[in-house]
Amino acid sequence: MAYTTFNRQINDQLKEPMFFGNPVNISRYDQQKYGIFEKLIEKQLSFFWRPEEVDVSKDRIDYQNLPEHEKHIFISNLKYQTLLDSVQGRSPNVAFLPIVSLPELETWIETWAFSETIHSRSYTHIVRNISAEPHKVFDDIMLNEKILQRAEDVTRYYDALIDGVNLYQRCGEGNHTINGESQNISLYELKRRLYLCVMSVNVLEAIRFYVSFACSFAFAERELMEGNAKIIRLIARDEALHLTGTQHMLNIMAAGDDDPQMAQIAKECEEEAYAIFRKAAEQEKDWAEFLFKDGSMIGLNKDILCQYVEYITNSRMQAIGLKPIFSTTQNPIPWINTWLVSDNVQVAPQEAEISSYLVGQIDNEVDGGDFGDFDL
Amino acid sequence: MPNVKISGNSAIAFDGTAPTLLTALEQHKLQVNFHCRQGYCGACRCKLLQGEVQYLNEPLAFVRKGEFLPCCSIPLTDIEIEIP
Ligand code: FES
Ligand SMILES: [Fe+2]
Ligand SMILES: [Fe+2]
Repeated sequence: MAYTTFNRQINDQLKEPMFFGNPVNISRYDQQKYGIFEKLIEKQLSFFWRPEEVDVSKDRIDYQNLPEHEKHIFISNLKYQTLLDSVQGRSPNVAFLPIVSLPELETWIETWAFSETIHSRSYTHIVRNISAEPHKVFDDIMLNEKILQRAEDVTRYYDALIDGVNLYQRCGEGNHTINGESQNISLYELKRRLYLCVMSVNVLEAIRFYVSFACSFAFAERELMEGNAKIIRLIARDEALHLTGTQHMLNIMAAGDDDPQMAQIAKECEEEAYAIFRKAAEQEKDWAEFLFKDGSMIGLNKDILCQYVEYITNSRMQAIGLKPIFSTTQNPIPWINTWLVSDNVQVAPQEAEISSYLVGQIDNEVDGGDFGDFDL
Repeated sequence: MPNVKISGNSAIAFDGTAPTLLTALEQHKLQVNFHCRQGYCGACRCKLLQGEVQYLNEPLAFVRKGEFLPCCSIPLTDIEIEIP
């Protein structure tokens, strides 16, 4: 059961389950059990972007002119997103790679996590620009009670899975005494932890980011913090893909063709799945309350944002075959959709706001007079 | 010219002026949720109660039985749909 980085067992990868089969040996994509993961990889690669390509310099002036309560909204969201992407940039790798058995899924996980690291780096890009003391923003994340409360629920399922897999890969199934403490682990229990973990990641990608997205776009509707909004659009585009990835994983698990035990587990865990969604929605509504504690922003207030949380929670639940838990059926902020369309988010080099291109442009705008003092 | 019947609503004709079913529905002022408009996010999921649609590009989003994505499809036959 120990993990090996190159499994010598000659196996038919098409017959492996997604997780807890043989560790992957050859990373080959000429044959695929689930072609969808290869397609997600290709799509994610086509989305590649660099934070430095987005010019956020105008945001600095916008930010300075924001009233205090709006500064609070903006910066708090940024901190929360930083937490979420810190977790997402590493956890899929640490939690899923030691137990994955399909090469296309393994590579999807790596590609997915890598794109999260771009998100993390983009927050530094944004914060450096609006604040002369970026360290204060980041330092506060580890002290901010509201954010830490959320961190607990975001990481708990990952940690439980990682902990169980460590024990299992070292000692196998059964009762073990580790440092004088008795611990029990079974493959069935690990699969349960895996299912709940993917469920909680699905909720993270599907719901937790969206309060923050809505605020970013509400600023941009007023032509404020537009550099930030541009970055958020790129992030949202990636997140939509990650969400599709976890939805596929959950639906494959629940269908049971891949691993019949997973279907049974999915059924058994249904109530817990509902609880994970419900708790996340409540936490995000709490977050909305915290954001607007000193005042709302134009176009958005706590009630509208809470309705939006309910609305997306319902639709995310339906996507994985659960019943909606809220009565809200209409999107209270339909204008957000236009910000989430991916057509026109391309970071094209000809766009004026791309700073790396502007560096080149300066060279083109030199005229003859600039060489007046030059003798060759 | 396939007919698109929207459950609880009147029917509209898919007359070729819209590239996708989503655009056709929007032209008739019907509110359908969307994000990507490219078949990978699943936000536009609707129920397909009757008939057949054809995808212009194979969608990446998970589509369960009885559902379809209007953002990247056109009707092949008369269809009946339900917008959530
Ligand atoms: S809008 Fe994204 S799948 Fe249709
Ligand atoms: Fe992310
Ligand atoms: Fe993500």
